[in-house]
Amino acid sequence: MAHQIEVDRLSKHYQVHEKEPGLMGSLRAFFARKYRVVKAVEGVSFNIDAGEMVGFLGPNGAGKTTTLKVLSGLLYPTSGRVNVLGFIPHQRQNEYLKQFTLVMGQKQQLMWDLPPMETFLVNRAIYEVPKGDFAAILKELDDLLELGPLLKKQVRKLSLGERMKCELAAALLHRPKVLFLDEPTIGLDVTMQARIRDFIAEYNRRHGATVILTSHYMADVTALCERIIVIDRGRLLYDGNFRALIERVAPYKVLKLQFERPPDLAALAQFGTVARADGLTAVLHVPRAHATDMAARLLSQVEVDDINFEEPAVEDIIRQVFAGQVDGLLSETGMARAS
Amino acid sequence: MLRKYLALMRLNWGLSLEYRAEGVIWLMTNLFSVIMLLVWLSISQAGPVNGFSAADFVAYYMVGLIVRQLTAAWSSWELSFAISEGRLSPQLLRPIHPIHHEITANWSEKIMRLTILLPIVAAVLALTPGVWLELTPAALFAFALSVVGAWAIYFLADYCVGILAFWTTQATAFSNILFGLKIVLGGILAPIQMFPPAIQPFLEWLPFKYMLAFSNEIALGQATGERLLFGLAVQWAWVLALWLLMQLLWRLGVRSYGAVGA
Repeated sequence: MAHQIEVDRLSKHYQVHEKEPGLMGSLRAFFARKYRVVKAVEGVSFNIDAGEMVGFLGPNGAGKTTTLKVLSGLLYPTSGRVNVLGFIPHQRQNEYLKQFTLVMGQKQQLMWDLPPMETFLVNRAIYEVPKGDFAAILKELDDLLELGPLLKKQVRKLSLGERMKCELAAALLHRPKVLFLDEPTIGLDVTMQARIRDFIAEYNRRHGATVILTSHYMADVTALCERIIVIDRGRLLYDGNFRALIERVAPYKVLKLQFERPPDLAALAQFGTVARADGLTAVLHVPRAHATDMAARLLSQVEVDDINFEEPAVEDIIRQVFAGQVDGLLSETGMARAS
Repeated sequence: MLRKYLALMRLNWGLSLEYRAEGVIWLMTNLFSVIMLLVWLSISQAGPVNGFSAADFVAYYMVGLIVRQLTAAWSSWELSFAISEGRLSPQLLRPIHPIHHEITANWSEKIMRLTILLPIVAAVLALTPGVWLELTPAALFAFALSVVGAWAIYFLADYCVGILAFWTTQATAFSNILFGLKIVLGGILAPIQMFPPAIQPFLEWLPFKYMLAFSNEIALGQATGERLLFGLAVQWAWVLALWLLMQLLWRLGVRSYGAVGA
């Protein structure tokens, strides 16, 4: 097997039945059900190697979670071929189930009314983790996540962040080689997000685990993933280096200027594209390659009170990609990966 | 496997203790058996009914209470909710069939209920004059075997009903039908001997009698020798058939699982 995860022209269609609202709608639906096919994933292909951390991006309903569920064997693919660690996921062989984990920020595996430790002990037995290994793994997770006092508290009495830490620990007790993380930081405050993020990075570094991560927080993806896969409406939009995508979509730096007197916009335009001008401030997009030269020239020719270089906001770039405003991404996919 | 079972038992025992009020309320459902006993007692005041004396009815319904508690199953509810709400997903990801979770949950709950029920039943049996039970080692062994069989039949049938939730959102309606059939044809409404002689032979072949009445008959010494062996054979054939049906339905069901929700 060439890659640890291989997805070849994967499609997953759901049949959903539709119902008009109200009593008549219910009656009609009872006698003549209307079905509609939802193409959640449509012809998606990608490969991932051992130890890679890949960000999986796309707007809501793009097919990210469906893809992760197919990779975990929860869903049968409608067509296409999927292979993870040499297994066909939907066969759900025990040997496969013991080697990966799926963490969903909005779902939990911890028993709601019992302390997390109870779930941990059950997982130890079910995943057949030897007692000595279990103690060592638990200690490591405790060190990284500071679980200590949480382990004996009822799960429902934990805060969202505390629960997420315990969820992650429960999901990693069998030391999986592949981690599917679906919105692991959803609803967490910034500090806790950063903690979880650091933990994932550290886990990947220590154990060489492969990670596929979906998140609505760009900070997660920027911090963790060199490579991203973008899908929308079930189709692959981009697969490749994250930086390369940013440079492709936003081949400029953002130059923020502050003036004492209203500037001459025509004069500013010769240094870059004026993205915004508003009284005493202006924002210029300056080509990356010439950013420093341009700034130097600008300073020598225009009277500027304050000047600041910034990277373009990742959120804006991704929004442009989602909105389909960037053409020819897919054709670049292979190229971008090589770079 | 043993270690996995012990771990699951431990977990579910913890949950049973957590939800102990629920267990006590469930015991109230036995009220129906007690009412039926009172009905049959008043009928049998004039003399034995189809070979059942008043004391026989007491023995039948008291043993029935125990058998019913030992063989009760309700996993279709858990399973159908888990399927329709997507909560089955974490269970499907574990390297153990989700049915084992339900089995251990079922067993731990029983320990809880029996500790309450057993002393009451023993007292009633001891205080009722003329009660006679078949207590030879062979009969006790056959009784135990039949109770395990009765549990397996009802549990598997109920689990199959739960699996229907892969296709319909109303699987629990079917579990009510199954429960109703058990009450009427399984010997809770009336012992099989009270049914019209014309339909009794059919009941011998249907699974419902083997969910409860058959074990009662063994305890009361009404099923011995050839009758006993025939009953056990039919019962365990049903266990096997339902096991195979469960496997088949499961395989088809998981295929159409939608893993809804996140």
